[in-house]
Amino acid sequence: MQPLVLGIETSCDETAIGIVRGRTLLANEIASSVDEHARFGGVVPEIAARAHLEAILPSIQRAVKAAGISLRDIDAVAVTAGPGLIGALLVGVASASGLAQGLGRPLYGVNHLASHVSVDYLTHSDPLEPTIALLVSGGHSSLLQVDDITGSITKLGATMDDAAGEAFDKIARIMGVGFPGGPAIDVLAKSGSATAIDFPRGLTTSQDWQSRPFDFSFSGLKTAVARYLESTPDYAKGDVAASFQEAVVDVLLLKALAACKQTGIDSLVIAGGVAANSRLRELAVQRCEKAGIQLRIPAPALCTDNGAMVAALGSLLVSAGRAPAAEAFDADSSMPVTDINLR
Amino acid sequence: MTISLAIDTATSRTIVGVVDNGVVVFEEFHEGATDHGTAISKLVARALKSTKLIDQVVIGMGPGPFTGLRVGITFAQSFALARSIPWIGVCSLDAIPIDSTTNNLSADEYTVAIDARRKQIYWASYKAGVRIKGPAVDKPEEIPTYITNVYPDIEKLVEQSSVQNVREPIYLRSPDAIPTAERT
Repeated sequence: MQPLVLGIETSCDETAIGIVRGRTLLANEIASSVDEHARFGGVVPEIAARAHLEAILPSIQRAVKAAGISLRDIDAVAVTAGPGLIGALLVGVASASGLAQGLGRPLYGVNHLASHVSVDYLTHSDPLEPTIALLVSGGHSSLLQVDDITGSITKLGATMDDAAGEAFDKIARIMGVGFPGGPAIDVLAKSGSATAIDFPRGLTTSQDWQSRPFDFSFSGLKTAVARYLESTPDYAKGDVAASFQEAVVDVLLLKALAACKQTGIDSLVIAGGVAANSRLRELAVQRCEKAGIQLRIPAPALCTDNGAMVAALGSLLVSAGRAPAAEAFDADSSMPVTDINLR
Repeated sequence: MTISLAIDTATSRTIVGVVDNGVVVFEEFHEGATDHGTAISKLVARALKSTKLIDQVVIGMGPGPFTGLRVGITFAQSFALARSIPWIGVCSLDAIPIDSTTNNLSADEYTVAIDARRKQIYWASYKAGVRIKGPAVDKPEEIPTYITNVYPDIEKLVEQSSVQNVREPIYLRSPDAIPTAERT
């Protein structure tokens, strides 16, 4: 019998519960506090933490009902232990600990970034590894080499400043088109030209390719867009959105494909909230086809933060015979991606 | 016959106990303002060694510093859900045992206070054991006299659960955040 695993994700502003049996998704419930943060132009940690506590039990109950199981049937509980907002993570970890202890079942404290990659296992049956993974969201922008999703992940590079999704949020805020910025800019970009304005591509000089080939930087781009908006009062919103988006997407894919080439790995997974961006998906398909790289991008609902990915990684860890966490562990807001799960 | 698992994380202490029909059969605490997350699992694991059967969970709902308070409430509620048993919420200040002899009180009216950080206290006043004011958060100099360095007690927490049932965390403060439109 495949393990029945309940996964809890509360690293940012989504209270998310997933239930999987083996690699089959049974439930994926999400309660978001995004509307409560909108008027602040970003996620407010204390508001997020309060919303998690309010939403977590009803979300677990909804997920159990949707999966058509009883909590007593659960074989293991998995929870995001980090990285993320500490106050938000702690609610998920406390809930998972309470559940695991109440049920007398093992508890796995898993890495948020690794689970973003592992969610692909819910949609594809053939092995994923080895693969390069591009992880892009509001909090993270990383390039990873995944040799074993339950045992070996190497960090190739990450953002030096803003995360890709954060850049979308900031530009959207300056342009006054709403929060979160990703979906707003994605829509707006469809009415503009991606080549209208030549915005800079961060860390792509020949020297950068030598010294930090797989790192990202989006703060220069953000400043360039802000300056352009200031100096061009009658700017075309669509053109700015499309050209900005193109600059982000272009550099993400340039580096991801370069990582494939350098490591000789012909597989790429793109995950995280920004993977829901339509231009990134479109251009990734084109470029990977041209380069002969097998591309996998989870469905948009599994790209943004969700509980299914945590349950998926938990299930893979159980099946691989990995040991659960110690009796008590703390959330780790800066948990490195090389730590796939806490021992 | 009711066996209660009682949990309070409103103070710097993580307090866990088991009360079997009015008799405290387990009571332990861990001191550490940032340790609630790890302490609670360990203490509850030890508490469950005294009895596997739990009929209800009694939870100290604050007031108290937010992060630790939430850890206790979330853990306790999730434990109750896993066991399909009810949880009962109690104001943590009401579970602080005050005794006229040990606390050297001349009247039956008193105020208790716990640290609220940011140079403030969470407090409530009682007369003949009944809360008459609070819970509230204020600067200590605004409250004439109060008893401090006191902590919730397992027996009193469970005792209070028969007369109250608080369903929401008692925060008493709004989250600190300024809307974009109001920033200067």
